[in-house]
Amino acid sequence: MRRTGYIWKRSVFAVVTIFAAVSFNFVLFRVLPGSAITRISRVPNASPSMKKALAEQFGLDKSMWDQYWLYLKNLFTGNWGISYSNRQPVIENLAVAFGNTLPVVSIGTIVAIILGILVGVHSAVRRGTFADHFSTNLAVLFYAFPTQFLGMMLLIFFAGVLPAAGTHDPFAFNQTPWESFLDYSKHMILPVLTLVLTLYAENALIVRSSMLETLGEDYILTARAKGLSRRKIIRDYAMRNALLPIVTMVALALGAIVSGAILIEVIFSWPGIGRALYDAVLQRDYPMLQGGFLIITVVVVLLNYLADLAYYKLDPRVVD
Amino acid sequence: MTSSTAGSDVPALEISNLNVWFGTSHRSSKGQESHAVKALNLKVMPGERVGLVGESGCGKTTTILSAMGLLPSTASVSGEVLLNGVDIISGGESGMASHRWREIAMVFQGAMSAFNPVKTIGWQIIEALRIHNVVGEKQSTSRAIELLGLVGLKPNVLDLYPHQLSGGMKQRAMIAMAIACEPKVLLADEPTTALDVVIQDQILNLLTSLTEELNLALVLVTHDLGVVAQSCDRAAVMLGGQIVEEGAIEKLWKNPSHEYTRKLFNSTPDLASALEKRKSSGSEKKATLLEVRDLSVKYENSHPTTDSRKLAVDGVNFDVRAGELVALVGESGCGKTTTVQAIMGMVDIQAGEIRVSGEDTVRLRPSARKQLRRSMQLIYQDPYEALDVRFRVKDTVEEPLVIHGIGGNRASRLQLIIEALEEVGLTPASAFLNRFPHELSGGQRQRVAIAASIVLRPKVLLADEPVSMLDVTLRSGVLDLLDRLRSAHDMGILMVTHDLSTAIEHADRILVMRDGKIEEEGTSNAILNSPRSSYTRLLLDSVPSPNPDSKRGLVQKNLVS
Amino acid sequence: MTEGQIRQSKVDPSSRGGWWTVLNVLRQPTAAIGFGILAFFTVISLLSPWIKPYSTHLASCAVFEPPSASHWFGCDDGGIDVLSLTLEGGLISMYVGFTAATITILIGATIGIVSGYFGGWIDTVLMRITDYFLVVPQLVLMIVVAAVWGPSLEHVILVIGLLLWTYTARIVRAQVKSLRERVFIRRAISIGSGHLRIIWRHILPQIGPLLVASTVLAITVAVFNETALAFLGLSDPTAITWGTIMEHAFQRAAVSTGSWWAIVPAGLAVAILIMGCYMLGRSIEDALNPRLRVSYLSPYSWQLRTLVGRGKGAL
Repeated sequence: MRRTGYIWKRSVFAVVTIFAAVSFNFVLFRVLPGSAITRISRVPNASPSMKKALAEQFGLDKSMWDQYWLYLKNLFTGNWGISYSNRQPVIENLAVAFGNTLPVVSIGTIVAIILGILVGVHSAVRRGTFADHFSTNLAVLFYAFPTQFLGMMLLIFFAGVLPAAGTHDPFAFNQTPWESFLDYSKHMILPVLTLVLTLYAENALIVRSSMLETLGEDYILTARAKGLSRRKIIRDYAMRNALLPIVTMVALALGAIVSGAILIEVIFSWPGIGRALYDAVLQRDYPMLQGGFLIITVVVVLLNYLADLAYYKLDPRVVD
Repeated sequence: MTSSTAGSDVPALEISNLNVWFGTSHRSSKGQESHAVKALNLKVMPGERVGLVGESGCGKTTTILSAMGLLPSTASVSGEVLLNGVDIISGGESGMASHRWREIAMVFQGAMSAFNPVKTIGWQIIEALRIHNVVGEKQSTSRAIELLGLVGLKPNVLDLYPHQLSGGMKQRAMIAMAIACEPKVLLADEPTTALDVVIQDQILNLLTSLTEELNLALVLVTHDLGVVAQSCDRAAVMLGGQIVEEGAIEKLWKNPSHEYTRKLFNSTPDLASALEKRKSSGSEKKATLLEVRDLSVKYENSHPTTDSRKLAVDGVNFDVRAGELVALVGESGCGKTTTVQAIMGMVDIQAGEIRVSGEDTVRLRPSARKQLRRSMQLIYQDPYEALDVRFRVKDTVEEPLVIHGIGGNRASRLQLIIEALEEVGLTPASAFLNRFPHELSGGQRQRVAIAASIVLRPKVLLADEPVSMLDVTLRSGVLDLLDRLRSAHDMGILMVTHDLSTAIEHADRILVMRDGKIEEEGTSNAILNSPRSSYTRLLLDSVPSPNPDSKRGLVQKNLVS
Repeated sequence: MTEGQIRQSKVDPSSRGGWWTVLNVLRQPTAAIGFGILAFFTVISLLSPWIKPYSTHLASCAVFEPPSASHWFGCDDGGIDVLSLTLEGGLISMYVGFTAATITILIGATIGIVSGYFGGWIDTVLMRITDYFLVVPQLVLMIVVAAVWGPSLEHVILVIGLLLWTYTARIVRAQVKSLRERVFIRRAISIGSGHLRIIWRHILPQIGPLLVASTVLAITVAVFNETALAFLGLSDPTAITWGTIMEHAFQRAAVSTGSWWAIVPAGLAVAILIMGCYMLGRSIEDALNPRLRVSYLSPYSWQLRTLVGRGKGAL
């Protein structure tokens, strides 16, 4: 009964956070000095009638509160403005980009989590051995590599072997869906590999220290006294309990995943959200920048919320 | 399985010539090394209960951990551990896994953290059953329920998580899990140390009856001779890694041959001799220093679902006079510590009045409250935590003087510091002034904390469990110091304690507290000899006496009631 | 608090306080190596104006000339010596890293101490704000802020400093909260010490070692973010930092021409610096964590020692 309070609180927090991000977005782009109010309607090469229509839609001649209200309304109806660069609706641009980001980031993250847990657990239970020192130092090394540096090194290393940019071979025409899928997958290898290498390291280090903390708990001694096998102790006692801080930490590392994804998309010219954000910065495409920021924030907040729910499932002690 | 038809002359557990060394790391077996257990021999027959007694660091826990093969990797072991005549440690750790729980099981001190917090009690008991193939999959649940019944727990405990159980229930569940595979030997490491006396008494009775029913050999490790006298047939007294004396408990009690055994018995609180041991009692009526009237305090972090009307302290009244030592006795969670904190102004009070020397202290401005802190000081339970590890003794004792602007210059402050240190028995003071806490023993640390309190010359001294974290042989020194302070300086002392026998030995008056209320108030004599409240009687009955003769009657009385 | 009058002390009786631990940590190889790296980079960077072999503005060799005896790290697309660039870039990158880390620690420690010490609604409000900054993806926020404010080194420092304090705040808060319950702090309160005195005399010195560790760890994140922002073109384009060196090389086709030497020195410098800081910071943090001192599941077992009636163990 008391436990439901937790879910309720986390839900409220998620909603408040999204709302705060939405409002921050509004303030950042309109109120801060240097960001002219009229920016939204300054689509380059737009006809005067289109400018007028945009100014009306966003109430650019009205008071700040009216604008804020309109902004929220537009946000919920999917009217996120028009991109300066290709004069398409922002939301459509973002939908395409999101579709490209999703496979890279989800595959990369999942593989990195699994690899991180395997490496972290193994080095924790072998604390102080050569295997532990080796894998921990390797993880520190990969943790230390700047994402863009690792990406560029892989590009140079695999030059000619694996495709370096884009999602498809620009010279391949009339691909069947299957060929297209293969081509897409092949293009995904390097971005995913870069993401995995940078993320697994951080995960492995988190898992290792979390595991080490649980190995000092009294219930590990009880489990040994009970005559359980090492495997069982590690699985049902140490890992099961270490999982709790890991869930929190991995959720908090989502921000780092997003950063990594942006850099990777830039390096490999992968047309995802990160690349869209980068192009928006270069071209001062404020509507796209605003939309991209919003969509990433919302996704990260939602994933954090999922992590909170997972924590609730995993830890019977959670109340309040 | 070897049958026990070999006769009762084969010990269930025999430890012979056991030595344990601890190195600094698992590989440096040379270099710095401490010899924790030295040539130890111990025999326990089936159905026999043996107490292994000693103070902290004497090697008693190391002994039983090595019998289970649970030592850390920095340890090296020599000697034999025989179960029913079979040596189980000759094969090293890997050879022991099959014996664990099946033949030799253990109950740990921290039942609070000995269970896996994310699995149910039932899951953990059934795991023990299944891993050793004691019962089939289908019967495991019914067997687990049966086990819970044996230790006095209801079947619904099966589906509860450890955090949902009280300390006593957790320890019962732990015992249920320990006897799940019907072991021959049960090792119990301070099984009742963290529990209240009433619960302690119940757990000890449970262990006693289980050993009889199951013909179980029990090794009870404890620092408390009272616990051993209450529940064991034989005892072995450990000091510095060695057994200095071993024998039937009656013999040790009546006729100890080793000096240390005698000292241990003398320092163990005993209701029967508590009154005789009393030194003086200030019988004349002096001025009232501390008055507490209708004091009520809410719970600090009350959960929305706990009854909001329930109070941590609920309408408490009492006085402390000059030169008087009053004991506030009760079980954990009864509100005694909250009472003290309310008096110190460290928690907000709900209702009531607190007067020090006639002055109302509840509605004070901050400056006046600071002044009040000068006339009232608090001594804390944990001497290891009471001192800032970065402060030298003189800095610790000087701090209150600086805060209250006493003593003018450094030299005169130093004079006051030296006086205070000598007062608490740290002589010569010059030898202690520049020490850091890590260079002091627990007893010395508590004395420094007391010196830092009395250097302000307070009228009222509050002491929250001042000796409970100290080894028994050190306790009487600190308690005698409190005795001396109140008679020499006419201080009023309010001592919070869970230990009724300590209270009877040292206090002029005793307040028995329960559920936030004062259950009974009276002189030590009255509380001991003519308690009016049934709760006080229960508390008195539960205090383990180091006199084994008083045990029989007590156990029987409990069985009858 | 609920059960047990006799509980075990949380404190190691032989403890001499955190600074002692920090000094001892330097005896561990990892921490010593980390410290060495940090010290080496600091010294080299400070000396860079005098020890760089060539100008960083004038061409001294051919375009993308490979490493040679006269140009150890080769040259970039403008014929500028990469070693000189890396040395000069180090100075600015480390300046950005250290300043941003300092801002981070100042904000984080203040919020952590206030939140943990006073508790109550102050704690709740501050921690919700912290949670918000933790959840919002920081690089994205940095990009947006930097894009709106315009590219400049000061903005990069400010943006990193103002967004990265959450980790410090949380860890300091947790530490202060548990210190607040410790007996020697309660005793100081009951003696009559004021809040400021307690924070200054008792709490700050206690969390000092942790702050050192946090600062060192914050440098890693700050340097990392500097290179990322610079790579995305949000840093001052005229400033030479490790980040802009890599960005420049990437934009000028160093990858497609296979001129790895234009990228590797700066990239490795960042990696080694981050590794050093991480090793040092983590070692201090681990040494301060009492939960890591015990392990009940060691890869090694205790040993059997056979006695033949002789030797020092035999009695």
